Amino acid sequence: MSTPLAARRPNPRDNSLLASLPEADYKALLPHLERTSMPLGMAVYESGSAQGFVYFPTDSIVSLLYVLESGASTEIAVTGNEGLVGISLFMGGETTPSRAVVQSAGEGYRVRGAVLRKLFETSGEVQHLLLLYTQALITQMTQTAVCNRHHAVDQQLCRWLLLMLDRLAGNEVRMTQELIANMLGVRREGVTEAAGKLQAEGLIEYSRGRIRVLDRPGLEARVCECYAVVKREYQRLLPYAKAALA
Amino acid sequence: MSRPENGVLAALPRKAYLALLPGLAPVTLAFGHVLYEPGATIPDVYFPGRSVVSLLTVVDGHEALEVGLVGHDGMVGIPLALGVDVSPVRALVQGAGSALQMSAGRFRKAFNASPPLQRGLHRYAHELMAQVTQTAACNRFHRVEARLARWLLMTRDRVRSGQFHLTHEFLAHMLGVRRVGVTEAASGLQKRRVIDYSRGNIRILDDAGLEAAACSCYKRATAPRR
Repeated sequence: MSTPLAARRPNPRDNSLLASLPEADYKALLPHLERTSMPLGMAVYESGSAQGFVYFPTDSIVSLLYVLESGASTEIAVTGNEGLVGISLFMGGETTPSRAVVQSAGEGYRVRGAVLRKLFETSGEVQHLLLLYTQALITQMTQTAVCNRHHAVDQQLCRWLLLMLDRLAGNEVRMTQELIANMLGVRREGVTEAAGKLQAEGLIEYSRGRIRVLDRPGLEARVCECYAVVKREYQRLLPYAKAALA
Repeated sequence: MSRPENGVLAALPRKAYLALLPGLAPVTLAFGHVLYEPGATIPDVYFPGRSVVSLLTVVDGHEALEVGLVGHDGMVGIPLALGVDVSPVRALVQGAGSALQMSAGRFRKAFNASPPLQRGLHRYAHELMAQVTQTAACNRFHRVEARLARWLLMTRDRVRSGQFHLTHEFLAHMLGVRRVGVTEAASGLQKRRVIDYSRGNIRILDDAGLEAAACSCYKRATAPRR
């Protein structure tokens, strides 16, 4: 029998990156970790503005978006409980040209950038883990760039749904078509058409504000190679996230 | 001793630079030479001086798309600085010229021993990510002509010259479009006397005009010092 959500004790180790830290480093970080609610649409950081905190999602998902001067945006990566948001705080970049927004509500833990940066500089193991995550994220961004250029919207929608499912419990994604359009950087009609196709093929069921995946293997057969490329890279670079992203 | 051409090396404290020096071999990178294939082990890192290296993602086995451009502003082989010894991308010399080469084994040792080099390369890796991010968005939204203009400007800033050699086919790969798309975009710029393009030789005639033709991504990116 599963424990009701409210009765579950929140645990920083629900984030698998935090869970994989060596015990001593984890203990050093623990007093600085602050549990935080991450509601839908919350801006974790804004384009061009400095960030003060690094966030470790537990059951939330954060979308990294690039916002153009015109205001149009496109998603370039997602982060769930396998990673963290705010790598510029330890990589030493000043500001980021991207925007990070909570895409699936939930919780997470946050820590002041300066605290994590210090640990990054003093613990070889922490540095190693954070850099591997960074490399995995670069791979995801790279593949997204390619996918944006070469693949049809319905394939991209498949990729996006699978990314979500890998980071969510259950088989339902709560999301409006408008938000998906913003994520994928296409017009709403494009999403409507793509979702209609997948629904007609019996892969998903779409109703107001949510998408239920009916046939995951079907989606995996339908998606472009980009999904598998990124997943393979995540599993290779982040062995700790294997279970989380299964 | 002269100042290194490469910006990452030039930014190091003198002592840190001198410690690296014995492992650095001056090389000339030839146009079209492949330094890494995706999925293969990285044998050497390169600090470009006058050369420019393009990072390409291969999709569906053949089509490619450029996701990053490394010149004197950076280093080719960033995965090694992040603890990964395999390249996820193809690294292709796009502008022939000088670079300093170091074997992966030697680099790993030098990197681990040098906090200033670590800081410099972590910061550069972050800049490269910003470039990838922007390219992802630019590819999605901007017209071929604006992207071509942006790309020519990025190349100009890295080769530090308004003249370089590029074939149509190569440009098509870079921009992820068909050759005819490149032809159209290039002839548009040529008609307006912004560039001159014949037999693969590009000459920028009007820098301001090219900057006006480029999408906003060019100006927003942290342009390397010229």
